[in-house]
Amino acid sequence: MTRYNEVVSENGSGAFLDSSANVLVAENLRKSYDSHVALVDLSFSLQAGRILGFLGPNGAGKTTAIRILITILEPTSGHFSIGGVGSENPEEIRRKIGVLPESLGFPKQMTGVEYLTYFAQHYGKTAVQAKATALALLEEVGLQKRGKSLIGSYSRGMRQRLGIARALVNDPVVVFLDEPTLGLDPAGQRELQSLIVRIARERGAAVVLCSHLLNEVEEVCDDVVILREGQVVASGTVSEVIGKAERNLVRVRIPSRLLTEAQVMLANVPGVIQVTPSKRRMGWLEVELIDLADTGEGESYDVYTSRVLQSLLQANIPLLNFEVEGGRLQDVFLQLTEEN
Amino acid sequence: MKNRSTPGWWLVAKRELADLWMGGRALTLLILFSILLGITSFLLASNSELRLLPPQEMAFMIVQITITVGLFIGVLLSADTISGERERATLEGLLLVPTKRSHIVAGKFIAAASPWPAALLIAAIHLFILSPNSIIFGQSLLWGGLLGTVLVLSFTGFGMLVSLWAKSNRTSLFVGLLVALLFLLPTQFPGTAQTGFMGRLVKQMNPIESVNQFLEKVLVNNRTPEEMAYYLWSLVVFALLVVGFMLYAAPRLDFTGDKARPKLWRPASRTVMGIVIALLLTVAQTAVSHAQTSSTDPANGLEVVISTDYVEAKTGDTFDFTTTVHYNGEGESPEMVVAMNLVNLGDGDPVDPEDWSPERTQAIEPLQPGETAVLDWTINAILEGDYLAYMTVIPAPESSQESSMPLSSPGLHLTVEQFTSLNPGGIAPVAFGMPVVLALIMALQLWLRRRELALSMA
Repeated sequence: MTRYNEVVSENGSGAFLDSSANVLVAENLRKSYDSHVALVDLSFSLQAGRILGFLGPNGAGKTTAIRILITILEPTSGHFSIGGVGSENPEEIRRKIGVLPESLGFPKQMTGVEYLTYFAQHYGKTAVQAKATALALLEEVGLQKRGKSLIGSYSRGMRQRLGIARALVNDPVVVFLDEPTLGLDPAGQRELQSLIVRIARERGAAVVLCSHLLNEVEEVCDDVVILREGQVVASGTVSEVIGKAERNLVRVRIPSRLLTEAQVMLANVPGVIQVTPSKRRMGWLEVELIDLADTGEGESYDVYTSRVLQSLLQANIPLLNFEVEGGRLQDVFLQLTEEN
Repeated sequence: MKNRSTPGWWLVAKRELADLWMGGRALTLLILFSILLGITSFLLASNSELRLLPPQEMAFMIVQITITVGLFIGVLLSADTISGERERATLEGLLLVPTKRSHIVAGKFIAAASPWPAALLIAAIHLFILSPNSIIFGQSLLWGGLLGTVLVLSFTGFGMLVSLWAKSNRTSLFVGLLVALLFLLPTQFPGTAQTGFMGRLVKQMNPIESVNQFLEKVLVNNRTPEEMAYYLWSLVVFALLVVGFMLYAAPRLDFTGDKARPKLWRPASRTVMGIVIALLLTVAQTAVSHAQTSSTDPANGLEVVISTDYVEAKTGDTFDFTTTVHYNGEGESPEMVVAMNLVNLGDGDPVDPEDWSPERTQAIEPLQPGETAVLDWTINAILEGDYLAYMTVIPAPESSQESSMPLSSPGLHLTVEQFTSLNPGGIAPVAFGMPVVLALIMALQLWLRRRELALSMA
């Protein structure tokens, strides 16, 4: 079980290191269709109140993995548990999860209240309790004013919010959201992202978020699992995973009139090998640092990056922009999934 | 105020019923059915009033149409239940609730079968008006209702099975309706194709046709249900097969339909299928041989007189006359059959006497020399025109290698004039009013729903 503790909080909080706090534990999940293996020994865990980004290119096995975890598909082998309930008991698991599938259809002739009331009743609530739950959830997702309108009149963003409300009718331990912001405008995406964060932070539910929007995952998620050809190629906290892909190249944007001065100054900073103006972007300098893989001293690039920035500030050279090669989730994702 | 949680199957059924009935699909189908039944009843009642059709046959045809349309409605609605949800991407949401898969299927089945009682009620109103007595009404409703319910529920279950297995709605609708049509096809074969061993075998193995045969024999031909029970074997086998497959597939309802599909190529399944098919063939063959033993032999005959030589009538009129067969020979006469013949004098074409008379032939027991047999006949004047009716006395040949000489009576000249009725059998108000009432109910329902939504928005 120790490998599940790879997924820990960024601040290393002890609560998240305790494997007993895991509400979702997947062990060696495997799925094959005849000769094709869609998922190979998937193992990870997730703690309550945290958001896990589940990433991978098309055909990586994300949907298969999610469908297994939400009991729509049976694994060929392996085991998982949700809220302490094992995968051998799918009906009980369904009581503990909430799901927003990627392409969830809605009955257009029902109102939002009727829709949520219907699903809440499936979880054993009486008609009165179910309606109260429906109204509360509509308020939570910001649809209280449209609850009595036909779903057919909802915009895509409203339907997605209704779908999330449906996923919450049973007060789930784990919520699975598959591409919740797909097709939404930036404002709609922003609203939904803050809703997802509230589900984790305020309700204390663990959230598994499948998304192709890597900026969204970087911004919203605590942890991340990256799949490629059915196998996990990276897992851990977002910063850990990003850190694994950092390279020895830093880019800084300086006012054009100070480029030469900055180039000379930075070339003398300890740890810097060479400084060259960027050929692709005007006003940028590319600062190559020593390769830590060669030093074998286990140092972090953070130290050298900080020295570069401090030197610029001490020399009163304005810093207009700054980026580290490999410092975004997108870089890691491409690096891990596009390699042959 | 309800304090208990609702069972999952009833939740699904309620939801589906609301979708089907409030959404207007069920009512639309029932309106179409009531229009079809209204037109049919009106035409049948016209024919019945013209004595073209005995009331029992009219009742049988109403029951037959009701069952046929009922099973098509069942297949049409059930074929959409699961594969339709797959296609509309709403199935995944339903599969994620903790309700048992078999309960989800049960709820959907209840909804898909729900138009049948309404269709039966509409048919019952038609039967009530058109049946000349409570015996015909009661028998038609009892046997039509009972067998129709088994047949319609079986076909609804069949449609549901296809829907459970199919990935797309188009496939399930196509397969469901095609199979229902294939079952109906043998009823459209030419008369000669329906007789003979293979024709009878196909009839016996086809649940729709065997139910039709049973109903016709019992309702029209006054045969007892016990006598005709062997016709129902294929219905029982079909219903049991559907129930068996449903019990297998319903708990295996899944996202793709793969799990619910039985593995028919497995040795055990192959053996079971083999036994079922063999059983079906044996039952059908037994039933066919049972049906063949009920045919009869003809006999021998002499001199004939007819009671009247000219009649004037209007279409729909009935008149009676007698024929007298006199035997003057030596020793006992052979058995005889007297057959009615009718010829249209306008173009010389023979007319089907079955349409004109409840009795086409009558048999006479052997007569002693000098003995006379008097036979009563009834003719229903059906179509306008000039006709000649005459009787042929056919003595039974003495052996299988011999023949006999038939004897014809003098002719009865019949002139029929046209008669019309705007409300035959009193069915017109129901035939044309029922679709209007149903359409009004549908419109009222839609208006109430819109009003409810508008009020809740306000």
